[in-house]
Amino acid sequence: MTQQVSPSAKNAATSPTVFDPRIVVFACNWCSYAGADTAGVSRIQHQPHFRMIRVMCSGRIQPAFVFRAFEKGADGVLVSGCHFGDCHYIFGNERAVEQFAKTMNVVKLLGIEEGRLRLEWISAAEGGRFAEVINEFTDQVRALGPSPFAAEDAIAEIEAPEGGGCQHSDADSDSDAGGGGH
Amino acid sequence: MDAGRHPLIEVITNAEITGCEGGPGDFTVTVRKNPRYVGDDCVACGLCVDHCPQVGGNEFDMGLKARKAIYRPFPQSVPATYVIDSDACLNFMPHLDERQKRRLDKMAKFKRKIDPNYPPNILVCGHCSDACDVDAIDFDQMPEEISLDVGSILVAVGFQEFDARVLGAYGYGRLPNVVTSLELERMLNASGVTGGHVVRPSDLETPKRIVFIQCVGARGEGGRPYCSRFCCMNAVKDSMLIRQHDPVVEEITILYTDLRAFGKGFDDFVTRSKEAASAEYVRGRPAKVWHDPADDTLQVFVEDTRGHEQRRIPADLVVLSVAAAPNEGAVELAEIFGIETDAHGFIARRDPAVSAVETSREGVFVCGSAVGPQVIPDCVAQASATASRAQLYLTGHRHEEKAEPVEPMDLSGPPRVGVMVCHCGVNIAGVLDVEQLAADAAELTDVVVTSTDLFACSSTGQDELMETIKEHRLNRIVVAACTPRTHEPVFRETLARIGFNPFLLEMVNIRDQCSWVHAGTPEAAQNKARALIRMGVARARHLEPLQEGAAAMTRSALVIGGGIAGIQAATDLAVQGFPVTLVEKSNRLGGRLAEPNLMLLYPTMRPASEVLADKLRRLDASGARILLETEVENITGFVGSFEATLKGAVDEVLPVGAVILAVGADLHDPGAAFRFGELPNVVTSADLERRFVNGDDLGLGAEAPKSAAFVLCVGSREPKGFTGCSRYCCPTAIKQAMELNRRGIDTTVFYRDIRTISTGAEEMYREARGRGVLFVRVPPGHTPEIVGNGRAEAVRCYDELLDRRLEVPADLVVLSVGMRPRQPETDHFHEMLKASVGLDGFFLERHPELAPVETAVEGVLLAGTVQGPKDIVDSVAQASAAAAKAAVFLAHDQVRLDPAVAVVDPEICRGCGDCVEICQFHAPALSETAPGVFAAEINASLCKGCGTCASWCPSGAIAARHFTDRQVLAQIDAFFDEARP
Repeated sequence: MTQQVSPSAKNAATSPTVFDPRIVVFACNWCSYAGADTAGVSRIQHQPHFRMIRVMCSGRIQPAFVFRAFEKGADGVLVSGCHFGDCHYIFGNERAVEQFAKTMNVVKLLGIEEGRLRLEWISAAEGGRFAEVINEFTDQVRALGPSPFAAEDAIAEIEAPEGGGCQHSDADSDSDAGGGGH
Repeated sequence: MDAGRHPLIEVITNAEITGCEGGPGDFTVTVRKNPRYVGDDCVACGLCVDHCPQVGGNEFDMGLKARKAIYRPFPQSVPATYVIDSDACLNFMPHLDERQKRRLDKMAKFKRKIDPNYPPNILVCGHCSDACDVDAIDFDQMPEEISLDVGSILVAVGFQEFDARVLGAYGYGRLPNVVTSLELERMLNASGVTGGHVVRPSDLETPKRIVFIQCVGARGEGGRPYCSRFCCMNAVKDSMLIRQHDPVVEEITILYTDLRAFGKGFDDFVTRSKEAASAEYVRGRPAKVWHDPADDTLQVFVEDTRGHEQRRIPADLVVLSVAAAPNEGAVELAEIFGIETDAHGFIARRDPAVSAVETSREGVFVCGSAVGPQVIPDCVAQASATASRAQLYLTGHRHEEKAEPVEPMDLSGPPRVGVMVCHCGVNIAGVLDVEQLAADAAELTDVVVTSTDLFACSSTGQDELMETIKEHRLNRIVVAACTPRTHEPVFRETLARIGFNPFLLEMVNIRDQCSWVHAGTPEAAQNKARALIRMGVARARHLEPLQEGAAAMTRSALVIGGGIAGIQAATDLAVQGFPVTLVEKSNRLGGRLAEPNLMLLYPTMRPASEVLADKLRRLDASGARILLETEVENITGFVGSFEATLKGAVDEVLPVGAVILAVGADLHDPGAAFRFGELPNVVTSADLERRFVNGDDLGLGAEAPKSAAFVLCVGSREPKGFTGCSRYCCPTAIKQAMELNRRGIDTTVFYRDIRTISTGAEEMYREARGRGVLFVRVPPGHTPEIVGNGRAEAVRCYDELLDRRLEVPADLVVLSVGMRPRQPETDHFHEMLKASVGLDGFFLERHPELAPVETAVEGVLLAGTVQGPKDIVDSVAQASAAAAKAAVFLAHDQVRLDPAVAVVDPEICRGCGDCVEICQFHAPALSETAPGVFAAEINASLCKGCGTCASWCPSGAIAARHFTDRQVLAQIDAFFDEARP
């Protein structure tokens, strides 16, 4: 406990840290990953706190991938694929929807807020939309704060700007983080 | 992008044709390459754009947005290099006004005064060349003439927008809030000018009321008699998009003449739009658009021909669905090639009724909207068709791949990872600390060596990479540079050259998805790049070498069905030298074109028998094997090695590499509707055609008729039944009505929408009206009623446009019957080939726009009406397209198999069959491994490598190669290896 408080206090002294969520984005090769590239080519700036993992089709994104991300401490997970009718593999994205529904059920069961997991369709041309989705989702996850499963360093960090309420949230997150490890 | 990357396609852009000599098989074409002032060294970093001081209008965004004088036309452009617009660039003096020129001269004189060695021909700006790291800018480029020796020429010059300023009453060009459909399209594009929002150009507010005006410049307006085909669906689509995107928009009104939703699934789309109330549909052509200065709104004056009133519709934004006009240079180009153009200035087809892609000259072909407006699926089918025909003049030039075998490197042992981080000039290094990234990567597990490079993709960068691999005996490579989508093939090719398995390469995207998009937060970008490299290395450690497989290809094809589509497909393949077997169930070829079915073909009125004889002559000459009275009893196997059991004229099992389905469609049987069968003088359109051929007086048991009526959409566009449009019936009915009219019979046509969308059909419709054929519009919910005792005497129906019931005499009633999937053939082949069937019962194409003749089953192709209703010329185009797609397979004696596919571990598989059910490509199949024990097996020939089954498998028996669980999980874990910054 004392270990956690000290770095956060130091942070608060130098510069008040805003919590930057850690977000995993799964994207299919043909649409969403390409959409992110299009955002790049068009230099559409967006928030940098996500890490992209490319798979060939959104249908490949199985629940276990999402769970592993949350288990390791992800604050948010975005699953993205082609729009309906655009799937390179005809109906892979429809399978993704079914898998996503299952994943979401378990995620809710685990006590992770619904807002930490999202499914989005982004086409290869929609660079602007990709940036929009990333910004919106990052803000949404930021508002939710660190994931209950997030590692301890994260929890220590957000205390500073939170102020009075931190004691409570710290206790909560701490116990949850402990639970997540088992 | 695919075309740009293809090793056998050379793309020459910014060029024009200046001459053409020779003949089919041996053309010499001269091309003038206009200078782009940017050399081939360009790495598309975009730095020049940041430094360019000069701004021009952006053509791609319809001038709604500005661009610099040096620019890339749009983000996905091929080639991915920049170009300088000499009209806007400061270095090209002529466009400058006198004052600017004087200023620049003065400046130059001044510079020469202080520096006597200052060159006399100074670059007046040169910001871009100063900014360019690779010295790609070259202001001295001159137009260059090259000459090409080619066998065939394909013309695909498309169309241009009709200039709506011609129609002054609509105010385009004068009123800022009147825009064209293409301008709207750029606004609706998420990465377009307004990020997907619709705005009024005058004040950038979201319009509350939007009015679409259809047929602007088409169907008689502005001197263009033809229909533009795509505008109706485009307006419907846009209205739905706007509704979904901007709830602020309160009203959308579409002013149309006929709603021409003729394509496959189009009518269902319109129905959905109507159900969602995305727009109000008003039938009428507005007289004018008036600007109300009081509140800066627009008023559209229109006669609502269904509501029977004059209306004044207020609007904040008016969208003109502008027609397609021929490309300005098309006529000139046609002159160079010696081909004919039609009256409107489009490239003319040799025979609009049957030649899908031929021009008036042998060896020159045309596709897409160069012949007149087309929808995308038809364009794509025609494009493939031209590719098929072009082969005729290329025999003997077929490219055979010559791969020199390279000794594979020994890459065994524990992972030894090399990490190469690219500066990409300042594209990456300008934001990220590249040396630090390399230093951080050196600390990661199994990383043996790290290096940095100014441009990793340059030839020196590639050489260094190969050296490093050999020197450090690396067996995994991580390249942190740009996107794998463009550069993975480049690196893979380099690695393959030295025998390094290309699947042991991992690319980390720190340019497109990091330095380019997080330039404002360099510290966070650095963290992201470090994490991405860490994740890439983790993944690389688990990568496995994969060997490209191959399966045998039987280089012959089976065409099923001997109608016009089957004849065309078989001919096209056979003339290319592939053995083709054409199987026909009946005792004659020709299908619906054969006598006594069709008399004359619209719009040329050429006898069908003549056309068919010509096609059959070509088929005979092609050397295809023809089996009449033969049926395909069974087909097994997959692409490259199908086996078809034929029964009839022969009794054999035929091995083929590809199958073309051309079994055609049935005609709707009206049953007892419209008193068909009960009254002798109620006939179908097919029956009427047969009577024309036989020289019948059409009396049907009485004296020759004095009056006749056509009922359209019988068995088409029915809410409970076939909901689609049959496409062929409108022009056919008009053709038949004109024939009756010619015989002095008073003819009335009862229609719902006239959909004369084929070449020349709209003109034919106009002519029919001019000759006195009556057209009565029947609204949905009303059906013409046949009146008569023992014989049809009249037809009674509500006329929507006159707003009253009327009764017209009819001694002859013709039912224009729609098309139906042919049964039992459709079910039969669906079951054997596993090719999907759509909701409408017709075979389903793999993608309506991108792959209109392919099915989800590799090697099974669709030709003609088996895929959905269409007329003769469209069937012919599809057939040639199918032949072209089949030739892609047959051109090689092996099918190359991508090794990055799914594989089943039979030890773990419990044979549940879930993978068999979900796979659209029918790659997995259950087989009995031991008595009573089943396990799935995935056919690598059919697997596309999406990996969905690997995620779906309940027992974890399926691995998606190159994206295995272990690889993906290692990537996830590596993200969180480092604590939060």
